[in-house]
Amino acid sequence: MIKISDVEDKEKEVRQFKTDDDFDPEFFKDIERKTNIWSCIQCGTCTASCESGRWTALKTRNIIRKIVLGDLEVLKDPDIWLCTTCYQCYERCPRDVRPTDAIMELRNYATKLGNISPNHRAVVGYLKKTGHAVPINDQIRKQRIELGLEELPPTLYKYKEEGDDKDLKKIEEIMFDLPEPKEKKEEKK
Amino acid sequence: MAKDMTFAFFLGCIMPNRYPQIEKATKFVMDKLGYELLDMERAACCPAPGVFRSFNKVDWMVHAARNISIAEKMDADILTVCNGCFGTLQEVNKRLKEDETLKIKVNEKLRQLGDYEFKGTIDVRHIGEVLGYDIGPWGIEDLIVRKVDIKAAVHYGCHFLKPTKIREIASSEKPTLIEDFIEAFGVKALPFKEQLTCCGAGGGVKAYDGNASMTIFGEKMKNIDEVKPDIILDICPFCHLQFETGQDYLNKNKNCNYDYPVVHLSQLTAYCLGMDEKSIGLEYQMMGKKFEFGGEELTGKEAV
Repeated sequence: MIKISDVEDKEKEVRQFKTDDDFDPEFFKDIERKTNIWSCIQCGTCTASCESGRWTALKTRNIIRKIVLGDLEVLKDPDIWLCTTCYQCYERCPRDVRPTDAIMELRNYATKLGNISPNHRAVVGYLKKTGHAVPINDQIRKQRIELGLEELPPTLYKYKEEGDDKDLKKIEEIMFDLPEPKEKKEEKK
Repeated sequence: MAKDMTFAFFLGCIMPNRYPQIEKATKFVMDKLGYELLDMERAACCPAPGVFRSFNKVDWMVHAARNISIAEKMDADILTVCNGCFGTLQEVNKRLKEDETLKIKVNEKLRQLGDYEFKGTIDVRHIGEVLGYDIGPWGIEDLIVRKVDIKAAVHYGCHFLKPTKIREIASSEKPTLIEDFIEAFGVKALPFKEQLTCCGAGGGVKAYDGNASMTIFGEKMKNIDEVKPDIILDICPFCHLQFETGQDYLNKNKNCNYDYPVVHLSQLTAYCLGMDEKSIGLEYQMMGKKFEFGGEELTGKEAV
């Protein structure tokens, strides 16, 4: 006969997080608080509703399971970046788990470890340089004038042109700092 | 309480920097409806909920709070025409209003960016709910200058309605507010298979893995093509961009031959309230350049 205490011991054993140098064990506790993830019964409604997973390797249920088990490999899993944040799993989860938020937490942690794609780095670069994730170009400037709009919209970028770029400088300095990938850092040493 | 009949108009990135015709149309529509739109000077990217929230959630909130505080200083609710901007600004606004500890944390970093403070005095609104609910088909009737006879595939996108617990607008499985609204213009909405799925652009996927994004989008287009609409109607410039560049990609790489004009709700509304067709700006877009809205001018009303 299985005793409850045995199950509890087994649980404890499983939740011994594999440690990584930089890993903060609070991370998984934090995820639980923010996403209700330990209510998951592995029913698979999330995977079945996933609009990306139908075509890609993203399997939301597996990702949730890995988080619950404390499997840190999930932080290096490229699949976490295939979620389109459509929130269909979030809407349909019968246990009120918030998988989209959990994936966001994973991505935040992966970013801290430097696991972030070059294209995403470029988007952050645009924001820091222009205040926009999608900056203006010459063709659109012309089109704006033809439509009777101001050549530049009254956003932060316009004031940069006028030499008054205090806000943008500060954004560049203190916002969205992206660490280099860990391996690269070691190579440099 | 923010000022009545006034909005701080949040531009975002894709609308002013890729589809300024949507900006033009929105200004026209809100003016016709008697609203004043205020410029939000020095506003920046919302920042996009898919990419920037993925990198650093706290910075994402700080940057959004900066935008919100610009509107707070003007004592006006924010109006956005983009699901992404709405997703970010509405969610951050709501969270910071409800969570004092988080607000203090965010304000601490926000102060480092300049003279900004999140106070929690305004709301964030999407043009879809302003037109669909505040104005409604009953409220637009008297202002209609042209009725059109076109069939539309309506695309809601994801972040306008979801997460429903945060947005509190309508059901995400069977919403009807946009269809009900455009019916006033004579537009018939054609239901299609898996109508409410994602366009495939969100979550940073378009930047991270273009192929995956296009595969998801390809299925969407296939389902739309089955019902042969005259236009694809969206309420988000990022979905708009995906429908435009996506059709072009499928035509060039996947042996497709799509040419569906992509129309934002603001553009359609502007046309029916009398804006000239050139300013609607389909000629600037990649798809459906030759499409004409047509329709009859209602007697006693003049287009401009």
